[in-house]
Amino acid sequence: MSEVILSIENLSKHYGRIKAVDQLSLEITKGSIYGILGPNGSGKTTLLGIVLDVINPKSGTFKWFGELPNKNERKRIGAILETPNFYPYLSAVKNLQIIADIKGVPYDEIKRVLETVELTSRKNSTFRTFSLGMKQRLAIAAALLGNPEVLILDEPTNGLDPQGIAEIRNIILAIAKKGITIILASHLLDEVQKICTHFTVLKQGKKLYSGKVDEILNESVLLEISGPDLDTINKALNEFDKVLNVEKEGDLLIVKLADNSTSSELNNFLATKNVAVSHLALRKKSLEKYFLELLAESND
Amino acid sequence: MIRLLKIELKKLINNKTFWILLGLYAIILALVFWSIQTFVNDIVKETGKTVPIPVTKISLYTFPDIWHNLTFISGYLKLILAIVVIIFITNEYSYRTLRQNIITGLSRLDFLLSKLLMVSVIALGATLFLYLNGLVLGILNTTELTFSLVFQKNIFLFAYFLELFAFMTLAMMIGMFVKRSGLAIGILLLYYYIIEPFLSYKLPYDIGDYLPLQAVANLIDVPNTSMMKIVGLNFREYISVSDTLVTIAYTCLFSYFMFLILRKRDL
Repeated sequence: MSEVILSIENLSKHYGRIKAVDQLSLEITKGSIYGILGPNGSGKTTLLGIVLDVINPKSGTFKWFGELPNKNERKRIGAILETPNFYPYLSAVKNLQIIADIKGVPYDEIKRVLETVELTSRKNSTFRTFSLGMKQRLAIAAALLGNPEVLILDEPTNGLDPQGIAEIRNIILAIAKKGITIILASHLLDEVQKICTHFTVLKQGKKLYSGKVDEILNESVLLEISGPDLDTINKALNEFDKVLNVEKEGDLLIVKLADNSTSSELNNFLATKNVAVSHLALRKKSLEKYFLELLAESND
Repeated sequence: MIRLLKIELKKLINNKTFWILLGLYAIILALVFWSIQTFVNDIVKETGKTVPIPVTKISLYTFPDIWHNLTFISGYLKLILAIVVIIFITNEYSYRTLRQNIITGLSRLDFLLSKLLMVSVIALGATLFLYLNGLVLGILNTTELTFSLVFQKNIFLFAYFLELFAFMTLAMMIGMFVKRSGLAIGILLLYYYIIEPFLSYKLPYDIGDYLPLQAVANLIDVPNTSMMKIVGLNFREYISVSDTLVTIAYTCLFSYFMFLILRKRDL
């Protein structure tokens, strides 16, 4: 049983009548890359703000590393919340020095983290001259100071171009390899799917679903089949008892197989029937589809 | 503690506005110190022309009275220092760096302490500045120079430090409450020039003396001059204990309020 890094119990935060966080409970284990998903306004940032002690909860408790929150536990965490906040008139290095002082970390760390995010060439430029991508990267660098055991990233790819997003993704994966627990809040399902091991879906402050990314992705594997004669293929497919469902999608037939069957089995079957197939591929169910289904369900 | 001060210094040393305002304070103050004598001399000359009583030339710069005189005059410029404090406190809100500092691992108490430490450093610096100017002016202008004269009435320096510290703490509290620099400065000026004078006018004399600004201003009362003695006015030449206690009490109160504000609020 993995060590629990963060445990949250029935956390609530109300702004007047709006329930930003509504009786939320969850547990994050060490070494996982945990995604907190939800549409805008679902309470992701508020939740992170509460566990980082900048927003006061209305009710509920949370524990970091099994202890009640205090500033010393926070030093083991590196976090970015919403936008990167630094002193605009100070250079990157000076800003990082202030953070190093607060965390009680020696200055040699600064060189290392700047290299990790590739900002060494701009270390003496003032923060206000940075582009958005550089600001995000400096924020990650700041979060990495002191070798935190947990990294909290709130929409780290916000406002970045595709190249920026890919860079951040690689940095995160490299960090995760070192065994650092990462908590990622995002509404970019694609990114979460590529990076995270576990995830939670929030909507209007409530937890809709919590689980492993793998489970969702493996849950139903679909096959894409295409060939010169779709109708023949369709007929043949319906004769295979392991086929659960066939749907037509443009040029493709989407086939849902029973769990105890494989695509090669299907291929063999079709071959015995002399049915030609030009395209046979696995289609992994995407998190996006699942997410949208989940949200749609909760609307009813 | 030192660590907290180091962090604060790092934030401010590279801030241009900070240095400009401090420089302005120093230059204006120095000008006032060195020219006030000629100003007073002119007044004496003018009065001498119209008043039959011979008015003696007043020297402001002789020890030990110089300490009382200089600290009284500098009291008027404490607004500039207060504005500096408001700016460096509201900056932390507008840059959202207060939030980031807390996330990074600073406790809210630590944050308050570091700001108060910074305020004491500024008050100390201003007092030192006054001391050095006073020393030079005093040495140049006292005919019979003795060591004891130089160190008499130094209590005014402590009162000056307290006055500055208390006033800056008030400014800091306003800044923290309002979070925007323009508004905070506006409120401070409004209170200083309009609200408290009005309150002290309306309230019976005894109570009015306990209003924060009054108490702070009363620490160092108008220095006596021979001219005033002739007319029959006799202001205090000492620092009253009750005023000191009230000022200290207010400082503690303001600090406590700031602590509450920090703790209760979402950042």
